[in-house]
Amino acid sequence: MNDKGAVLTAEDGVKDALIGWLKETLKNGVFDAILIPVETPGGDSFAYLLLQDPAILDSASPLPPVMPVQGGKALGRLTMRGRLNRQIAAVVRPCEARAAIELCKLEQANLENVCLITIDCPGVLPLSEYLDDPETSAVRHAGASSAWDRSPMRPTCQICDHFSIRQAPGSDLHIGTLGCEEGTAIMVAGSAKGERVLERTNPPTLEKEEESYSLNGLLEEWAAQVEEMERAQTKTRQRAHADLREAISGTDRLLDLFKDCINCHNCQRVCPVCYCRQCYFESDALKLPPENYLARANRKGALRFSPDTLLFHIGRASHMATSCVSCGACEDACPMDIPIAQVFSLLADRAQETLGYVAGMSLEDPLPLVTFEMDELHDVEQPYVKIYAKQEVQDA
Amino acid sequence: MSEEVAFEPKIVYFMCSWCGTGGAETAAAHHMHYPENITPSRVNCTGALPAVHILRPLIEGADGVVISGCHPGDCHYDDGNFRARRRVALVKSLLDTLGLEAERVWFRYVAHGEGRRFVDTAAEFNDHIKKLGPNPLKTRSDT
Repeated sequence: MNDKGAVLTAEDGVKDALIGWLKETLKNGVFDAILIPVETPGGDSFAYLLLQDPAILDSASPLPPVMPVQGGKALGRLTMRGRLNRQIAAVVRPCEARAAIELCKLEQANLENVCLITIDCPGVLPLSEYLDDPETSAVRHAGASSAWDRSPMRPTCQICDHFSIRQAPGSDLHIGTLGCEEGTAIMVAGSAKGERVLERTNPPTLEKEEESYSLNGLLEEWAAQVEEMERAQTKTRQRAHADLREAISGTDRLLDLFKDCINCHNCQRVCPVCYCRQCYFESDALKLPPENYLARANRKGALRFSPDTLLFHIGRASHMATSCVSCGACEDACPMDIPIAQVFSLLADRAQETLGYVAGMSLEDPLPLVTFEMDELHDVEQPYVKIYAKQEVQDA
Repeated sequence: MSEEVAFEPKIVYFMCSWCGTGGAETAAAHHMHYPENITPSRVNCTGALPAVHILRPLIEGADGVVISGCHPGDCHYDDGNFRARRRVALVKSLLDTLGLEAERVWFRYVAHGEGRRFVDTAAEFNDHIKKLGPNPLKTRSDT
């Protein structure tokens, strides 16, 4: 974490201050466009807009109550074919920034001319719950956000311990609101790109570090608060994961978990880091001649159709567990309410721990499956300790 | 005859084109025997073996999967076996987290000249799986 930063003061709230600052950056030409969640004209939904007209920023909502589209997915869609030729800013949540960084490492996005702006995230509501009653849900979300109460949020948000970027210098500019007084926030540069942006924008709401002696104090206060909340969240996460593992582990319980799966593959389609242009599980590799299914039915006594449900879920985990950022998009998209994001966050945490990696932390550390150490993971190698055969066969 | 004795596991043995199958060749040249319920399957390099190909037999009817490649430093492609080790570690971590008996997957290096080691691995894994019993997933129709 870089110590270069600025204080963002706003009497009308952090949201308005950020929007005012973004308008300035558009006018000054610091950014040519901004990717930000914006309230749809009907007022009951949110969508990522790549906007160039500062007037549209008035209806922008940097931290909407739901996450219908994962920001990493939006950034991937924008830069999949190569880098942008102009500078843009992307205002995303920390998990969305981490997904974008993973996509960049997988060469499915290009962040070269993108300034990732993240905000301390209080979590979002389950999508279906919000859609049932947008108005009261928005009010509930606003209340819970300002109190940092995660209980009405999605289960994955409740156990999120990467809601800020204190440990992750991945985003270029981070807006810290935790532990700041009402109407104040701090902007911290996480990279040289972010520093340049801070240097180029000097609207009256921003005080430069050297002019403001209070910034260091604010930074320390913020970092301490984030650390404390992170520690508490990590404990909650470990407890929740232990309970979940108890509840799903073993053949019977695992198959019971997926009994409702209707094979819609929504979880795969909305997943930001599931990037394959041709998904293995939708390819011809799993479309077999009928005699294969008959043989399997014969072997097992019966075969559920569509087949290969468990293979899809575990196989998908084997593809993306190392890059999973626990954003919860899959669970929002599941029409059958399978707690798939919680299962994946458990699988991902353990897989990433095994391979010594945390997804989306920086562009520098290599993806765990494209690199290796000579001296590691010896517990995977089955030791050969004795001549096993009971009877030596005479060598010919 | 009790059921345990009658249980003959189905085992898939993935071996790389260079050392794994070489070990099998040496074993054949020396007329060594390995259990007949083992289905050998050649892959170009264990580093090129997708995790899904380990999971698929385990879900669809195999009792165990064993993978053999070159010893560290001997890989025909320099580092395929190190990559395979990472992938096997990933698969084992997933299986273990889901309570699906990660010990049904073995990863052991076998060099081209090590016919005895290949035969021993096949026999040892066969006995190991016999002790573990049938894979509960293979009789489940709702996978």
